[in-house]
Amino acid sequence: MSYLTRRNLLRGGLAATAALPLLDARRAVGQDAAPTRLVVFATPNGTRNDLFWPTGSETSFQLNQLTAPLEPHKSKLTFLKGIRLNDSLQNGALGGTLGSEHARGTGGMLTARPLNAGREFQSFGNTTSGWGSGQSIDQYLAEQLAPPTTFKSLQLGVHVRDTEVRARISYSASNQPIPPREDPKDVFSALFGAAAPGGDTDAELERLWAQRKSVFDLTRAEMNRIQQLVGAEDRARLDAHLTAMRDVEQRLVKVSGMPGLEPTASCSPPSLTEVDLSVDDQYEQAGRLQMDLAAAALACDQTRILTLQWSYAESEHLFQFLGHSGNHHVISHDFSPSGTNFEAYNAIQTWYAEQLAYFLSKLDGYQEGDRTLLDNTLVLWATEIGESTQHDLTLMPYVLAGSAGGKIAAGRLLDFSQNRRDNNQLLVSLAHALGADDLQSFGDESGASGPLPGLV
Amino acid sequence: MIVPALLAGCSVGGAAPEAGLGSAGGSAAGPTEMATCPAQPVPPTPLRRLTRFEYQNAAADLLHVDASAAQELPADEITSSFDNNAGVLTVSALHAEKYVLVSEALAKRAVQNVAELTGCAADEACAVNFARRFGRRAFRRPLSAADEQALLTAYRAGATGGTHAEGIEVMIRAALQSPHFLYRLELTSPTDTRAQVLLSQFELATRLSFSIWGSGPDDALLDAAERGELASKSQVAARARAMLAEPRGRAAVTHFFEQWSGTRRLATTSKSSTAFPGFTPALRDAMAAELPALVEHVLWSGDRSVRALLTTPSVFVNAASADVYGVAGPAGSAPGLVLAQPPVEHGRSGLLTLAGFLAVQGHPDQTSPVLRGKFVRAMLMCEPPAPPPPDVDISLPELQEGATARDRLAAHQAAGASCSGCHALMDPIGLAFESFDAIGRYRDAENGQPLDTSGEIMGAGEAALSGRFGNVRELGEKLAASAQVRACLASQWFRFAAGRGEVEGDACSLEAMKRAFEASEGDVVELIVASTQTDAFWFRSPYRP
Repeated sequence: MSYLTRRNLLRGGLAATAALPLLDARRAVGQDAAPTRLVVFATPNGTRNDLFWPTGSETSFQLNQLTAPLEPHKSKLTFLKGIRLNDSLQNGALGGTLGSEHARGTGGMLTARPLNAGREFQSFGNTTSGWGSGQSIDQYLAEQLAPPTTFKSLQLGVHVRDTEVRARISYSASNQPIPPREDPKDVFSALFGAAAPGGDTDAELERLWAQRKSVFDLTRAEMNRIQQLVGAEDRARLDAHLTAMRDVEQRLVKVSGMPGLEPTASCSPPSLTEVDLSVDDQYEQAGRLQMDLAAAALACDQTRILTLQWSYAESEHLFQFLGHSGNHHVISHDFSPSGTNFEAYNAIQTWYAEQLAYFLSKLDGYQEGDRTLLDNTLVLWATEIGESTQHDLTLMPYVLAGSAGGKIAAGRLLDFSQNRRDNNQLLVSLAHALGADDLQSFGDESGASGPLPGLV
Repeated sequence: MIVPALLAGCSVGGAAPEAGLGSAGGSAAGPTEMATCPAQPVPPTPLRRLTRFEYQNAAADLLHVDASAAQELPADEITSSFDNNAGVLTVSALHAEKYVLVSEALAKRAVQNVAELTGCAADEACAVNFARRFGRRAFRRPLSAADEQALLTAYRAGATGGTHAEGIEVMIRAALQSPHFLYRLELTSPTDTRAQVLLSQFELATRLSFSIWGSGPDDALLDAAERGELASKSQVAARARAMLAEPRGRAAVTHFFEQWSGTRRLATTSKSSTAFPGFTPALRDAMAAELPALVEHVLWSGDRSVRALLTTPSVFVNAASADVYGVAGPAGSAPGLVLAQPPVEHGRSGLLTLAGFLAVQGHPDQTSPVLRGKFVRAMLMCEPPAPPPPDVDISLPELQEGATARDRLAAHQAAGASCSGCHALMDPIGLAFESFDAIGRYRDAENGQPLDTSGEIMGAGEAALSGRFGNVRELGEKLAASAQVRACLASQWFRFAAGRGEVEGDACSLEAMKRAFEASEGDVVELIVASTQTDAFWFRSPYRP
């Protein structure tokens, strides 16, 4: 890996984790617990219940067709059957009227809140809608837990491409969607610093950091001054900007005299290969790179909160590389219980499960003391709707992987079908698993408070 | 929606007031005489951050370098088809990171020939001089002493222990990261609590340049503001016309039409290689160049009318796209497009039948009469049909031998009565487009069945717009003759220019734009000029504590 010079590491994100090898050493002798991480793995266009859910009992179950690729990880999975989106996100009769199910399910996935009212999105709504109306759980946790990592959270995407409401799952606040990074080269640069401009000597690097700091200071001072002049809404806008600056400053501005960093076995950048992000047929290659980078970011403790989003809700992605010619969204709405689209849909959903399996294997390959990185992580596999032909939102196909460092007893099929739980409760449970124990409720009030029973 | 009652007492379309502003570049002593509807409070005008498109243009104009490094910024969120809705354009950590890195890349480029850039000797006096000239363009107003000091502080962070060029480089980075560059701040009268806060002439210049050039004002425009030459509506109108006549005027206007028509999505549009093996990168590039060519043809070489945009029978091709249109292409592989006349029987009709438009208003593997019909309904008629109810199978029944999309949609509709109400508003329009496949190639049959390309507009707000037509060409003529379509386009331009959706308080501004557009028989330049005469353009809402 020619990119991986000490200077490049210093230039990029890893510079801020210069103490990492030490941390690793402490972990190896059991002196320091490995951190707990959260990953959201989001794929589009729902599922098909009768081929998705495992059969059997809570602790003894068989995987179904669409999740068969996850068999090697079965003991580390938790299927959460019987979770519905709360009333504010439901179909019209149950109260949710803002935006289409695809858009609502996307905006509500991690916020448990309805979309804002508005006429901004007319094309995809039962009525119309604006953008998401509040903070998502990943951002809440990044703020509450304030992990000492280079990236408070990291949003990665694979062929997301779309920039409308149906393509954003992460929100800092109402009307503040967070765009994902979709280019592996860009992610690599951010994590490992190879592409950041700068000089060739340590002295030049330190100079660059000092200059960046000067500019940050000037910008911040001026923004603070302007905040005193403008109205409340613009002040909030500038506040978000200042927060974002604080987030990046710690990784773009370093201090001099930092100890050197050498890559360790458990923390090294993946190799990059060329992909054409505009070509649907290279979906898997692009996805692999993003998953490799995500795993490296977690292993290197660059971030503990990460979202990995595949395409956009209502995706029309093509799967010719699987031998199917139709587009995913149209395929997903074919009621026929057999035939071309039936086969194609099953193949696509199974393919997504294969991608998740690859990612889980990757995480499971990092040893952290007597656990693996996967054990120390909680991965939520989510999609914006349930039964795809129905735009159903009352039985969401949620699966967890990993155990958040032992907080979750995995290898279970939890079935709430007889007493449906709201997605708010899942988000509260995620927070508890990550250590935000005080959280009682999250999201819209129409959803139940408290965690999912028997999970964490 | 616009409530007519709100217009009571409004002297829409009256003589433009000629009252001058107070001090040059400053705000007026008595702004109400500038207002068309003085009693109407200005709706909330959120702070606008530059879009990626605007950032790149502004940086290129500022530094005279290729500013494509700006493409590293995240793509802007799309709201109501446009990428510049201020409400959602916030700054995430990703933006903040890229603002640093992109500014460094651009500054590095800009100082490669620092003497040429600054035009003065390599010393601090030169830096001061440069800060004033460059800073004025970067911040779109003369610098305050504090601004100047800040830029010099940045300069010294580079020059001290470094070189003059390095100092200029850091100064440029600081300017590009400044809120005065990244946002369109309108801070001249922060304590003005009136319901209509009149903008300074520099702020008007900035609104003008971003809506017409998609970029910041140049020295000449700033000079005009400084001399007090943007004091009256007629002065601003004249300036707007002059700016539209410049080559830069094409950028923002084309950007508007690309977003409005959806062709901006071509860059990320995929087509099935089995269904459309001809959809090559070269063809996609040719498609992406079509709309700019059409806009150029109509607005800068033609009669500037909506009619021409929607009905011109000419097309624009290169070697990669000629075949799609059934014309002989230009020799060679030059990417530039040339004007061509496709066979008359194909019935090409301006924007409605551009291959790029037909490609984005469709699926990767098949045409979509629904999407095409919906575009006409929502973006040309401003009557968005209600989307499908839940629990509906929205896939078209599987393709059977000999079936056309018309047959399939008919079967689809027969299957679910709940669909037919809304689909009746879209499908009979969209089916006329079936003579063009999902990459815009003409066809007279689908699956061996001759195509019926007749259609009907049902239930249009404007009674005269409803009715049958024989093909897309006749549809184009129908739309081109419609006042409703002109009014719709006026609202779309309003959203684009104002960076927000229209609300009730905008009725006065919108009505004025629509009247001017009508009076000019659909002259797009007149619409744009009219938008610079409105209360929405001249005022902002007061800052609320």
